[in-house]
Amino acid sequence: MPSLKDIKTQINSVGSTKKITSAMKMVAASKLRRSQEKAEAARPYSSRLEEMLSSLASSAASGEGIIKLLTGTGNDQNYIVVSVSADRGLCGGFNSSINRETFKLVKSLEGNGKKVQLMPVGKKSRDFFNRVMKDQIIESFVDLNVSSTGYESALNISNKLQELYFEGKFDKCILVFNKFKSAISQEVTQQQLIPLDVSNSEKEEEKENSSNAIYDYEPDEETILKDLLPKNVSIQIFKVLLESDAGEQGARMAAMDNATRNAGEMIDSLTLKYNRTRQAFITKELIEIISGAESI
Amino acid sequence: MATISFDLVSPENLIFNDDVGTIIVPGKDGDLGVLPGHSQVMSSLRPGRVMVYSEDKNLVKSFFVSGGFAEINPEKCIVLAESVVELNSLDKSSIEKEIEELGSKESKESEEQMSIAKAKLEAITVSFYDKI
Repeated sequence: MPSLKDIKTQINSVGSTKKITSAMKMVAASKLRRSQEKAEAARPYSSRLEEMLSSLASSAASGEGIIKLLTGTGNDQNYIVVSVSADRGLCGGFNSSINRETFKLVKSLEGNGKKVQLMPVGKKSRDFFNRVMKDQIIESFVDLNVSSTGYESALNISNKLQELYFEGKFDKCILVFNKFKSAISQEVTQQQLIPLDVSNSEKEEEKENSSNAIYDYEPDEETILKDLLPKNVSIQIFKVLLESDAGEQGARMAAMDNATRNAGEMIDSLTLKYNRTRQAFITKELIEIISGAESI
Repeated sequence: MATISFDLVSPENLIFNDDVGTIIVPGKDGDLGVLPGHSQVMSSLRPGRVMVYSEDKNLVKSFFVSGGFAEINPEKCIVLAESVVELNSLDKSSIEKEIEELGSKESKESEEQMSIAKAKLEAITVSFYDKI
């Protein structure tokens, strides 16, 4: 049976853990609000860009150079998978679900005879794939600090991807990331980044086109498209980084909320145990005194 | 007189959103003056000035953009710019310093930054109309 002192120490240590987790929850909650604002602020740009792109995309036939970002290389043998995780842990299943999903995707692609390379973003993803499939990692990005220099990091990633793409290192690029659904739920999502998938937006565009007049292009459609496509890649990555950042804070908030609640329950049960033990001691002592007095 | 709604958007946020009289946009092949009822145009932009004039032709705001796109239709003008700074927040001496620094480097990237910095310098030195 543990002594009173042991229980007391345990209660104290759980109490300080609770303080830490509840502080972390509060920090995550305020960061979440900021990340959400950022994600919302970035939305007009990316949605506008998508609109412009979808109205242009139909005009692009197959071509050389940058147009390949839209039309593809014509092969689908080599894949690159970009998994976006957080740099830090203590956020529930946020990172592990990304890693699990990416791992599954890689295995299934390999099962179909494709060659897959990896580009993990975020420490947790890099560390995981360093352990399980080290030789397939082509490049990794960590310490992104999305909340302050998000667009620059997105630009770095997108430049690297395009460099590799035009060297012919891969034919298709797939992003795996946590989509921010609400403060407490994230959804692991896969998105094809290169070649661009315009199949969804094209339908909307057809509707729009029928009501809208045709645009004039300056200088011409092809030049605009050539400017627009690389930019779109960076913007898509930027959007994903922001979503993932908001998701991370949300996941951490939920995880820490749970931890705080658990710590509270633990303290309650330990306190009960403490009081019972103390009472048992008192009763025992009383019995000793009484039986001692009786025997005289 | 009618107004046209104008959005200036950067990747990080929406910078300007209001109804205005005239906008001058630095199109790739030359500046575009956008008035209400402009025909539908999509243009890519060169680094330069975006000037916003109110309905009574007074200058409201002026920005420097480092490139991007503009989508114009009769009711609305949208400028998607990569980086946007307000013109009067630019400082001539610091840009000159930047140009000097970039001049010593030789890479494709610094060349690009160089042309942007030069356009910046031009944007603040070349005169413009406060009222049109």
